[in-house]
Amino acid sequence: MNNLLNFLFRYRGILVFAVLEVLSLYLLVRNSSYQRAAFFNSSNAYVGQVLDWRNQVQDYFRLIDVNRELMHENARLRQQLYPPDLSRRQADSLPVSKDSVTQARLALLGRPDSLLLGLRQLAAHDPDYPLIPARVVSSTQRRVDNYLTLNVGTANGVKPGMGVVSAEGVVGRVKVASEHYTTITSVLHSKSTISARIQRDGTIGTIRWLGDDPTHVLLDNVPRQNKLVRGDTVVTSGYNAVFPEGVRIGTIESFVKEPDKNFWTVQVRLAVDFSRLTYVYLVTSRPKAERDTVEVRAGIKPEAEERP
Amino acid sequence: MRGGVLEILWQAGRGILYLALYVLLISGTDFVLFNLGWCLIYLGFLLFLPINTPIVVQLLLGFLTGITLDTVFDTGGVHAAAAVLLMYLRPWVLRLLTPRDGYDSQDSVNIHQMGWQWMVVYLAMLVSIHHVAFFLLELGSIRVPGITLAKIVVSTLYTGLTLLIIQLVFFPTRRRSR
Repeated sequence: MNNLLNFLFRYRGILVFAVLEVLSLYLLVRNSSYQRAAFFNSSNAYVGQVLDWRNQVQDYFRLIDVNRELMHENARLRQQLYPPDLSRRQADSLPVSKDSVTQARLALLGRPDSLLLGLRQLAAHDPDYPLIPARVVSSTQRRVDNYLTLNVGTANGVKPGMGVVSAEGVVGRVKVASEHYTTITSVLHSKSTISARIQRDGTIGTIRWLGDDPTHVLLDNVPRQNKLVRGDTVVTSGYNAVFPEGVRIGTIESFVKEPDKNFWTVQVRLAVDFSRLTYVYLVTSRPKAERDTVEVRAGIKPEAEERP
Repeated sequence: MRGGVLEILWQAGRGILYLALYVLLISGTDFVLFNLGWCLIYLGFLLFLPINTPIVVQLLLGFLTGITLDTVFDTGGVHAAAAVLLMYLRPWVLRLLTPRDGYDSQDSVNIHQMGWQWMVVYLAMLVSIHHVAFFLLELGSIRVPGITLAKIVVSTLYTGLTLLIIQLVFFPTRRRSR
């Protein structure tokens, strides 16, 4: 017995070493053969706490990366939230929509690329009657003489005297054109007159603006004997040398017989809302110069024509 | 050896400090060199134990340290096996490196007392033995000898240099009073 104890004490180092080493290797083998089945594994609460601390400590070393990632994510989210500057910009002309209904309708018209402007179909690419799309870049409505500025100019083929219409109806007439910009006299101008026709019965009159209400104009020179109906459409007449015939101006809203006048006083509600006007087209009625020449030669001064 | 309870507490505190440092900080991916070098800094606790620590206590401390790390990192018994082997071989290396006239009672594993050649050889031998055992056990076999060898070499240098720096910075500079 004493010998045994002596032996154990003498070789305690290698014995303990052997026991512990075998135990370690046993744990190692067991751990690799039964995953997580070992007694000593990290799934107990104390070790979990230690690992939590470990994460907390090591997170400090990732702060730069984390911050950078967060910054990038913020930038991405901001981009989603706020559209870029360009997205608020509008196209400088009204595009023809590509959907099948529009295309079919245009094909039916014979001239596939025509536009319906103020009830009047106009060829978009007729070389004799150029149609120039434009965007209003500034406008006034509250003065006595109102003008609009368009983003097209002589470079686009604009000539003084061309008519300006929008999809709703008549807008005005070109006054001055520079290379890239055009100033137009709007219908809302004290000196502007437009030869007009009531579409229902063909009565001819003259449109003038009295200078107060930007939504209404006056239809003058309609004889008292003519019958008027509220809601009738007023369009440009064929006497007009600026606008094509039949472009809508507005609708009759009210009419009164004033005792000291031979004509009706007709209030016409303008089809165009000048406060929201964005896209317009410049149109040509016909070879105007030739007509002017013949009329001047005959000694006639055109009666109903804007002379701003 | 300062003796008694105080010494035991001091060593326990050292052990906890080394283990906490390793587990919480050094074992993180930020301290891995080139995906090859791991700094097993907790070896400092085992290697810098007093020279005359009883062999059984050394082995048990090695096993305890190893099994703690195995529990934390889910490695079964890799750390424990390598640490126990290290602690078993430590007295042999100490005996091999015995100065001409033997160890004094106040000698400790301290670069300022034992000199830098002694310390470098001591660290190089024990750390490389430990790392060879550790990485071979971790791998389970010698399947990819190239990368394992690179890991062993780089980690040995890394750990050894770190422990050397710890020795130089934190250990008292008392000269050997011989």
